[in-house]
Parts: sequence; C-alpha cells; structure tokens
Amino acid sequence: MNTFVSRFAPSSSVIPQYRGALAGDDDDEFSDLTWGSQAGFGNIGAKGIPSFEVPNLPDPSAFLRMHTDDYADPNCRIKIQHGTTTLAFRFKGGIIVAVDSRATAGSYIASGTVKKVIEINPYLLGTMAGGAADCQYWETYLGIQCRLHELRNRERISVAAASKYLSNLVYSYKGMGLSMGTMICGWDKTGPALFYVDSDGTRLKGDIFSVGSGSTYAYGVLDQSYSWDLSDADAQELGRRSIYAAGHRDAYSGNTINLYHVKEQGWEFIGNYDVTKMHYDGPGNVPGATGGGYGYDVRTAGRSASDADAIDTSA
Amino acid sequence: MAECSFGLIGKGYVILASDTTAGRSIVKMKEDEDKIKALGPNLIMATGGEPGDTIQFAEYVERNLRLYHIRHNHTLRPSSAAAWIRRTLADSLRSRNPYSVNLILGGYDHTTSTPNLYWIDYLGTMVDVPFAAHGYGAYFALSTLDRYHDPEAPLEEGLETLRKCVREVEKRLIVSLGKFKVKIIDRNGMREIDL
Amino acid sequence: MSIMEYNGGSVLAMKGKNCVAIASDLRLGNQAMTVATNFEKVFPVTDCLYLGLAGLASDVITLRERFRFRVNMYTIKEERQIEPATFAQLVSSTLYEKRFGPYFVEPVIAGISKKTGEPFIAATDLIGCLNFAKDFVVCGTASDKLFGVAEGLWEPDLEPEDLFETISQTLMNAVDRDAFSGWGAIVHVITPEKVITRTLKARMD
Repeated sequence: MNTFVSRFAPSSSVIPQYRGALAGDDDDEFSDLTWGSQAGFGNIGAKGIPSFEVPNLPDPSAFLRMHTDDYADPNCRIKIQHGTTTLAFRFKGGIIVAVDSRATAGSYIASGTVKKVIEINPYLLGTMAGGAADCQYWETYLGIQCRLHELRNRERISVAAASKYLSNLVYSYKGMGLSMGTMICGWDKTGPALFYVDSDGTRLKGDIFSVGSGSTYAYGVLDQSYSWDLSDADAQELGRRSIYAAGHRDAYSGNTINLYHVKEQGWEFIGNYDVTKMHYDGPGNVPGATGGGYGYDVRTAGRSASDADAIDTSA
Repeated sequence: MAECSFGLIGKGYVILASDTTAGRSIVKMKEDEDKIKALGPNLIMATGGEPGDTIQFAEYVERNLRLYHIRHNHTLRPSSAAAWIRRTLADSLRSRNPYSVNLILGGYDHTTSTPNLYWIDYLGTMVDVPFAAHGYGAYFALSTLDRYHDPEAPLEEGLETLRKCVREVEKRLIVSLGKFKVKIIDRNGMREIDL
Repeated sequence: MSIMEYNGGSVLAMKGKNCVAIASDLRLGNQAMTVATNFEKVFPVTDCLYLGLAGLASDVITLRERFRFRVNMYTIKEERQIEPATFAQLVSSTLYEKRFGPYFVEPVIAGISKKTGEPFIAATDLIGCLNFAKDFVVCGTASDKLFGVAEGLWEPDLEPEDLFETISQTLMNAVDRDAFSGWGAIVHVITPEKVITRTLKARMD
C-alpha cells in the first residue's frame, strides 16, 4: 500500500500535498463540491491543489486507459475528443491565435461549435487540443492561479511563469492519462509571448506553433507566407487561411474557425468564420481578405491545363 | 515510408518529383537513386513503397507497355495505361505476394493535348488529380498545393510551386529526405531538370 | 480502423412515385487525409439503372469495371437491356463469388423497370445478401446517420423534384455529421423519360 501511495505522491515541488489520492481515505467523500457554488473547483483543498478520486485498483491508470483509449480499442466505452487543428504565431503586431471547432468521437462529428480557445484572463489565451475536458479544466485552473498571483504580487503573471506553472502541473500527472497539447499565448512585460505545453511535460518557447491532427496542413500554408513584419490584417488572414487548409484536408478538423489577436492591451476576439463559407465565398469584407473563396476548385474554376489552344495559334 | 514524391500539372506539362534516398534499416545506402521511371515517350511514373517491389513493379509495367507498343504499333494513352497499372495493382493485392507500391503517374495525352496526373496507391486506388503527393510529405504539401497550385501556370511558376512544397517538407518533416529529382513531361517528351 | 472506413464515402438511394433517386458524396480519403474531392461512387448501368458502390475505393473501381463487362456480355447474349431486378441478382452473385475473400464494397442499386415502369431499389452487404427495400437504402461510413435522417424525411409517392429535395437534404445533413464522407455530392433522379443529374454545393470540411 505504501508503494501505491508513493506512486501518486507528488514528485515536484509545485504540489506539496496530494490529498485523497487513495479511495480508502474517504473522509471528504462529500466534499465542498456537493454544496455547489464552487464553480466546479470544489475539490481544491486548503493548499489550492485539486484532488481527485482514483479507481481502487492496483493500476488505476491502466484501468483508465482500458476504458478510454479508443485508439487501441475502438469499442471502448468512453470516447475522449481527438482531432483538432490549432495554431498560434508571434509577429510584430502581437500573436494570432486561430483554431477550428470540430469535436469527433470516432467518425461521428459530435459538435461543430466547440470553443477551443480558452480565455484564461484578459491577457492570456490557451488553446485546446487532445482531451477537451483536460484542457478546459486545467486552463481554467491556471486562470485561478494567475489571478491569485496578481493579488499576491500586485502585478500580472508573466506568460513564461504561467506556462511553466501549467507544465509542472500536468507533468506531475504524467502516466495517468492526461492528454493535452496547448499553446499559452499572452502579452507581458517582455512583449508578446508564446509557449507550447503538452501533457508529456514538454514546454517550448517559440514563434510559430500548430497542434493537432490537422497541424501539418496548417503549417503547409502558414510557413509559406509567414514573416515577422506581417501587418495585422495580413496576419489575421494567414491564420484564417491556415485553419481553413486544415479543415479542408483533415477529416477530424473543420466546421468553423475562431480567430483571436493578442495585443498589448490584451486579447481581442476577431471573429468566427464558417470553413465552408471560406471555401466558396471567402471571409467577405474583413481586414486582410483578398476577395473570393479559398477553395482550390473555386479559385481555379474554368482554368484548364490543356495546351491545345497554344498549339493552334502557333501552328 | 520516409519517402516522398510529388506531382503537379500545369499549362501543357506534368512535373514529377521524388526524393533520391535508398535506405535499408538505419543506413542510407544511396543518395542519388532515380525513383522516377520513364514508361514510354509520353509517360512517367514516380514509385515508392516496399524496397524491391518498387523496382520490380516499375520494370514489369514498363516492359508490358513496351510490349503493347510493339504489338499494336502505338502507345497506350495515359488514361488507358493508368487503368491497366491500377488493375494490375488491384489484382496483385489479392495474390499471395502483393506489390506494395505507391505511384504517381504523369503523362501527356497528344490526342487531347492535355497533361494527365494520376494518384495510385498499393491497394489499387486511383484518382485523377491536378496535383498529388505520396508519403509523409503529403501531409505538409497538400495544403501548400491547395493554396498555390494553378493548372494554367507556365513551367517556371509550376516549378516555383514545387519548390515551395519541397522547402516545406525540408522545414517540417523530422527526417531529411535529401535532394529531389525532378522530371517534366510535355508534348515534346520527357526531360530531367535541377530544381 | 476498419477497411470499410479506409477511404470513406457514402451512397444513398430512395424510391419515389414512378421515379427513383441515387446519390453519393465525392470524397476519396486516405484515413483522415482527404486525397480528392472528385471521386464519384455512382455509375450508370443502363439509361434507367444506376449502381452505387461505397467502401474500399480500389474495389469500387474494380467492381465498376467488372459490372460493366458483365452487363455488356448480358446485353450481347440476350440482345436486350438488363432489368433492375436481374441486375440485382447479378450483383449479388458476383459478390458471393468472393465469399471467402470479399470485395470490401456495399452496393446500392436504383433503377426503373423498362417492362413494368416500376421503380426499384436494392442494396446488398459485401458478400451479396440482397435487401429489397420499398423506401430507401443506404451504405458507407455515414450509413447510420443516413438511416436516421432518411427515416425522418422520406415519405411515400414523392414526385421527382420533391424526391430530389428529400434525397439531397438527407445526404447533406447525414454526411455533415460524418468525418469521412462529404466534400461535395452528386444526385441522379431517374424517371421513365430522363435522368436528372445535379452536383450539390456541400460542406467542404
């Protein structure tokens, strides 16, 4: 039993105490959560660390994997949301954050209106790829901690610190089946800052990131016209086009695009765009739009590779 | 699968490009392997897949198309050749020893003055496309091609689009594919160029 | 991932009043990657009989070729066009020939009998079990979604224009909930006089 306790005992200094990891200590089975008004964070203890009940089994994470890993077993009961395209890039005008809005369970499109950008606070955005619940919960939790940091230190948390906090937190759950690939974007004293954080514990600082099953397609458009000196309008257009490209080619991405722009005064929601409308008509009269649909067949309608005409004139 | 080939059409031509590495286990055995086979005066094919199968299949196809030419005194049109190659792969799939070969077939059809491009995989799936890619490169390049490809582009513009794809794969794909070999087919026949 | 879902795609056929309709999506995928959006899965057999094939794209093409051959042989030998009911038996027996190494395809047949003028639809599973329906038949990766929508929208004795609307709405709304189907759609409405073919402006993601 002691080995089991030590297995889930916190290894990092961020979590000094890990309450209620054992199903055995059920003294707070009726936690504050039961009484409501905790906004879903009723399991956060006196030290500010949430606690979770763990299945009463020798290997709880294997049990969880058995019932949630639809890659290994498509017939498993619980399907966790997979498949996404999210991107964020830094440029002279701030950070562009663009995401799709599709949620799939197997081949079924469970939703086309998922909010994959999590508004942590007016200066911080987090994106969502992998387990939807994991991202939502932990990024909201990060929001709480960022606010506490502000109150304690009388200044806003840096993006580096916030992302490091999240990274350390998810790392302490490594091997337990958390699944998230997220980008933490914000503006702090150092200017626009962008970090990639995932549930492996990886944390990367960078200028361009794209995460999810459609990320390769997004990179394919993004890399080609990215430059640091992009205007705000062009950068927003590039974000839209990149997510459109992924929505078109990747079966697990699409429906709508949510576009955000992080500026010095905080983030700004630019708009929600339907991928199919982008394909046929384009984004309409918005800054950066070049007019016309993004779709290949729309763009090249009536154009032919035949050179019969060229020969007729020369002959 | 650390292999990659591209194909795209333009005004009166088809470009095929393929990486040139031949690997075995963790060893790169050759870095100037030509994976694009000329199947006739107006037809070329980029192959990828199981080592051994690729060359054997390409030569089998080439000899059979040559035989057709000798017997009937004219070559098959690209669409007919593509249909025959596809059927050969589809039949092979249900044999004891199937060919695991993915193909991009490019040809110029003199009867319609049109360049043709076909995407064919080892299952015998075939589709007529304006641009195509096989291997991991497809995951990066298809969106680039969606954005920049133009069926009426003159040759230099088509090559620039191809360069974009190659650059993208070089930038993002975790393994290095080395140099790309590029062949062009148009009404004047086949030629090889440096990208 | 199942071999039937490898390339994606769906086909649907519906009966109307003295008419039938058959429709398919246009996607050809390689698992999650959409390779092409011009891959038709419905083929004419005679001027008032169509065949739809959803499943492994390689077998879709192979079977299209095989059925063209077999129908041509039938026409030459019998010196008449094949009837929809007869063709359904031909489809069934062709598939059962490969009972122990099947074609991974589910066919859908829609036509009008030249003799009686009766509308006819049928579908089989991948080894040729015939299902003669009097309302609609579906197959492909979106088949469960198609059943749901068709169950709600279809009604008896639809005129050609109404049947077109019903089948189009059914297909479009079903494939919009399926990750592996869509990217355009094509509909054929078969009446004794003519066949109306339309491509639909569908979602492209």
